[in-house]
Amino acid sequence: MADDQEFDGSNPVDLSEHPSGIVPTLQNIVSTVNLDCKLDLKAIALQARNAEYNPKRFAAVVMRIREPKTTALIFASGRMVCTGAKSEEGSKMAARKYARIVQKLGFPAKFKDFKIQNIVGSVDVKFPIKLEGLAMCHRDFSSYEPEMFPGLIYRMKVPKIVLLIFVSGKIVITGAKVMSHFLFRVVSRVVPRKTSCAVLGFAKLAENLVLC
Amino acid sequence: MDAFCSDCKRQTEVVFDHSAGDTVCSECGLVLESHSIDETSEWRTFANESGDNDPVRVGGPTNPLLADGGLTTVISKPNGTSGDFLSSSLGRWQNRGSNPDRGLIVAFKTIATMADRLGLVATIKDRANEIYKRVEDQKSSRGRNQDALLAACLYIACRQEDKPRTVKEICSVANGATKKEIGRAKEYIVKQLGLETGQSVEMGTIHAGDFMRRFCSNLGMTNQTVKAAQESVKKSEEFDIRRSPISIAAAVIYIITQLSDEKKPLRDISVATGVAEGTIRNSYKDLYPHLPKIIPAWYAKEEDLKSLQSP
Repeated sequence: MADDQEFDGSNPVDLSEHPSGIVPTLQNIVSTVNLDCKLDLKAIALQARNAEYNPKRFAAVVMRIREPKTTALIFASGRMVCTGAKSEEGSKMAARKYARIVQKLGFPAKFKDFKIQNIVGSVDVKFPIKLEGLAMCHRDFSSYEPEMFPGLIYRMKVPKIVLLIFVSGKIVITGAKVMSHFLFRVVSRVVPRKTSCAVLGFAKLAENLVLC
Repeated sequence: MDAFCSDCKRQTEVVFDHSAGDTVCSECGLVLESHSIDETSEWRTFANESGDNDPVRVGGPTNPLLADGGLTTVISKPNGTSGDFLSSSLGRWQNRGSNPDRGLIVAFKTIATMADRLGLVATIKDRANEIYKRVEDQKSSRGRNQDALLAACLYIACRQEDKPRTVKEICSVANGATKKEIGRAKEYIVKQLGLETGQSVEMGTIHAGDFMRRFCSNLGMTNQTVKAAQESVKKSEEFDIRRSPISIAAAVIYIITQLSDEKKPLRDISVATGVAEGTIRNSYKDLYPHLPKIIPAWYAKEEDLKSLQSP
């Protein structure tokens, strides 16, 4: 595995932080914030430009902004959920923008308790993975039902994260609440174990399946 | 027979008198034990008098899963007419009484019906009952879809006995439960059982080979072809084929039957395995490059493989 692989053409991967040389790309960040004032959703929906409000379907205003490309659910209690950002700063910035919009519409909106609730990332380890072997090695954490879903669902306890691992070597990581170290160490923790017990095909590593 | 006589203070020969039920010392005549209870059968039953009226046994086999072992006393209706008011209302009151196991009994009956339809052995049925009881003990399963829950119990029981059934097969006998619901119920049960006893749910992953025998016999394939199919499936596991094991099994059956003399149409295989025809075709495409290594040499030679249509 190329340990000093360049990551997206930007700075080379810092191996002290990402020992396996693999860095997940973030796909989605979900965050919540409390605007701390009661809102009139109908007024917001009428005045704001990119807002939709269908009280019979869902009790919140769905607002979208272009930069960063995100969607927000704004509830009458003043709470807001911001989804779709690709980085935590982006999420915070977007949430601030939404709060600004609400403020401009005449409500005394504040920015209380901003918290990132979920971080979704994806990773490609670039080698095929024997899901059955992995399920056998990590029986307590894995759930592999080829009839139900083609990927293996790996529920890591520490940190509390769920990984969807596919035969192609692509992995989806979700459930993380805190960024950086957790995310990258998560991958490097699962990957070396998987390297020894999971590589498919003609490599001699296939024998190591038994050892883990 | 010898026993210790308290009068003679030694071991003496003792006679058992069946008519009075006494144990008498033959030396001094002291009655050692009286009123002994005869435990032999009270009446003789003859072989051809079988039927509902066998007086030796009363009731069904005890079921340890039920609260009281399944022992009940039922007031039956008197013969002939419905009888007087008293006895019929007695029957009504008797049934209305709290029967803590009623839910369990109904569930067991449903599981038994499903197991019969699939032709499962009693071990699997009993295991499914046991799983259901364990889940029911944790009251949190009240609001759940009962049909899906029972079907999932059966599915897990089959898996634990190493005789897995595809979810589609379970679907076919479960009334109203969809594949998704059964899958969700199965996850729920596994979680509940894991909570109750720390992580003891042992269920291996399914393999195509587990289903081969059954699918082949459903299609009426000869022993030769069945053996070839099983070998092929075993070999195919070494290759990187990204398909569900059931689809691979169906595709292998298709290939083997195409190579044999009795070619099964795609539709028959689709019905027997539960795999869609399109999926079998796609799995065939995935298997095609590895065919020479998968199909055993004693079954088909290279030329036969070439005769197979290329996808």
